[in-house]
Amino acid sequence: MANQRVNRSLWLGALFLVLAFVLGSLPFFAQIPGQQALPWLNLLLGAVAVAFFIRGLLLATRQPALYRGKAAGWTLTVLSSLLFLFSLFAYYASRHIPDANAAPQVGQNAPDFEVKDTSGQPVSLAQLLASPVGPGKTGPQPKAVLLVFYRGYW
Amino acid sequence: MAISVDEPGVSRDLARKAGYTFTLLSDPDATAIHRYHLLHARGGPEGSDISRPAEFLVDRTGTVRWTNFTEDIRVRARAAEMLAAAQAIN
Repeated sequence: MANQRVNRSLWLGALFLVLAFVLGSLPFFAQIPGQQALPWLNLLLGAVAVAFFIRGLLLATRQPALYRGKAAGWTLTVLSSLLFLFSLFAYYASRHIPDANAAPQVGQNAPDFEVKDTSGQPVSLAQLLASPVGPGKTGPQPKAVLLVFYRGYW
Repeated sequence: MAISVDEPGVSRDLARKAGYTFTLLSDPDATAIHRYHLLHARGGPEGSDISRPAEFLVDRTGTVRWTNFTEDIRVRARAAEMLAAAQAIN
């Protein structure tokens, strides 16, 4: 018992798990460049965490006299594997969207449309391009209009 | 302008709660979303049809000058990108 070693793999696994979690949450909250890389970086770090946990668990079960952490190893391996599966699903689900190949492209005409504003009044793209929007609705014609199609608030 | 299938009341509450000052527009029947070929069929809650994320900058002649179509719903156009695209228009 006196010569027991620290089961470093379990600690390293925990470190990578935290990193994966933080980076996986960043795309939602942070205005940082390179955000395209974060979803798969999250997967990579998660996989590394699972690998370390498995290694730590193997050390603890094969050399229990030398390495502690059998219970922790099992718990962390199972939990991190489940988290990793969830990340895989989230990765798949957030990329499983229809392509936009048929959408208007740069240089093409933006089709006119009529939608409703928040008070239920109809408003068309032609109107939005012709007059300023907002309280008072005065001022010069806008140079351009930015259309942001979003998934809705739910 | 931000467009979704949300009803006007839902957008009004969202704008009030989040303090948004840009215009929120409602397309509950997804007619504009269809016209722009952005429909994500059964992509919403309880299998409802929604829009896939997409951004367009349209100049005063009605011509598309800049677009952004993400491949991952977690990765969206940043305000700085959109501002730069808008500033490039005279």
